[in-house]
Amino acid sequence: MSLYPLFARPRTVQQAAQVLESMSSGVVVIAGGQELMPHVNHGVLQPEVYVDINALADLKGIREDDGLVSIGALTVHRDTFSDPLVAEKLPLLVEAMKLIGGGRQVHNRATMGGNIVAMHPLYDVVPVLLTLEAQVEVVRGAETRRTSLKELMADPRHGLGSEAILIRVLVAPMAADAGFAYEKLKSSGGAYGSANAAVALTVADGVIASLRLVIGAVADRLVDASEALAFCIGQSWSDALASKVEHCCAGLIDQPLSDHQGDGEWRKAMAGVVAQRAMGRAVARAVAQEGR
Amino acid sequence: MEDLLTQSTLVQLRVNGKLHELEVMPFTSLLDLLREELHLTGTHMGCMTGHCGACTVMVNGRIAKSCIVLASTLERAEITTIEGLRTADGKLHPVQQAFWDEAGFQCGYCAPGMLMSAVELLKENPNPDDAAIESGIAGTLCRCTGYRSIVRAVKAAAVRMNSPEA
Repeated sequence: MSLYPLFARPRTVQQAAQVLESMSSGVVVIAGGQELMPHVNHGVLQPEVYVDINALADLKGIREDDGLVSIGALTVHRDTFSDPLVAEKLPLLVEAMKLIGGGRQVHNRATMGGNIVAMHPLYDVVPVLLTLEAQVEVVRGAETRRTSLKELMADPRHGLGSEAILIRVLVAPMAADAGFAYEKLKSSGGAYGSANAAVALTVADGVIASLRLVIGAVADRLVDASEALAFCIGQSWSDALASKVEHCCAGLIDQPLSDHQGDGEWRKAMAGVVAQRAMGRAVARAVAQEGR
Repeated sequence: MEDLLTQSTLVQLRVNGKLHELEVMPFTSLLDLLREELHLTGTHMGCMTGHCGACTVMVNGRIAKSCIVLASTLERAEITTIEGLRTADGKLHPVQQAFWDEAGFQCGYCAPGMLMSAVELLKENPNPDDAAIESGIAGTLCRCTGYRSIVRAVKAAAVRMNSPEA
């Protein structure tokens, strides 16, 4: 190995996968660099090899594929949240991504893939993708595998491993009459929320018919509260139900994060607050749709 | 696969209209390249974490924080720095002129971030309201906390750029 870091710019996904497979530790994949570079600049991470995947044209862009919305891993945030197909089919994703911190500079360079593989509990994209039960396509060596994002996030290694590349995300379109909301509670002017909640639901005849809700930024792992909130099905929205949702969701957080975004006890309480607020807004949206 | 690995990379960058072919080390940030190799010191080094925005430049027409852009990933790119904002006849860019006229800056360390953000914002939205301006400059910190005068200057720039003489 060289004393200085090495650099590779593969031209195809296969080439990239082969490079990664042939390396041991110390190799990093770089796309926009928005996650990686702060760590490199401060010496937290000292890569031995950079594999630049920006030349992999297959990883760019958004299209419809077999009824799903396919978002390439190299698609930058600005291109995702201003894309007409995403706006029409995945409005919840647009709402959350516009709240990503770091300003236009970061929206212009940060990628979908980077946001996911960072596996950062404070980030805004994954709560939405889990709510919408997204799938991811991953290449490892000669194998291309499609798996649920949920499965990927549950991996005990907490990530893809350095030999794999995330190719794209696939999301089923939201129901046209869905109610949705992304709630991001910020305690300071910084980029991160202290508690986030993403919700997608449907309402029929004034009562909640289906519901998915994921809470982020309060624990090391994101919390899917959908099953715990099953008691909401068949109910209409009310202050009493909001209060039940709040207590239920706060109760799901047993090991809250304590960091710059707030201490643990408060974060646990805020998990309930954002869940309740997001649901209230989502129901209102769905009811307005139904009334049309 | 070993043959793909290199110790340095050739990049072709058109910086403020001038083409440079540069051999860069894998770990060099675009900020270091601009300041140390090309001596374009108008782009400021602040935090090196992507928080402050003082290092903002335009990469292929879109603003970016150059401290967290790895230079070697820019195989071919068009870069505009704060030095490249002035017009061909040496006049200040209308956004720069508006900041000058309105005393938009206090210390000016954040100038690359604020000016580049304002240029990009006004290209997309020629008549931004306060909320749009605030979100447009959100990626840059003014440590003097002089945000009111910055917002005022961006508004003045919008008026200037929308007037027929501009």
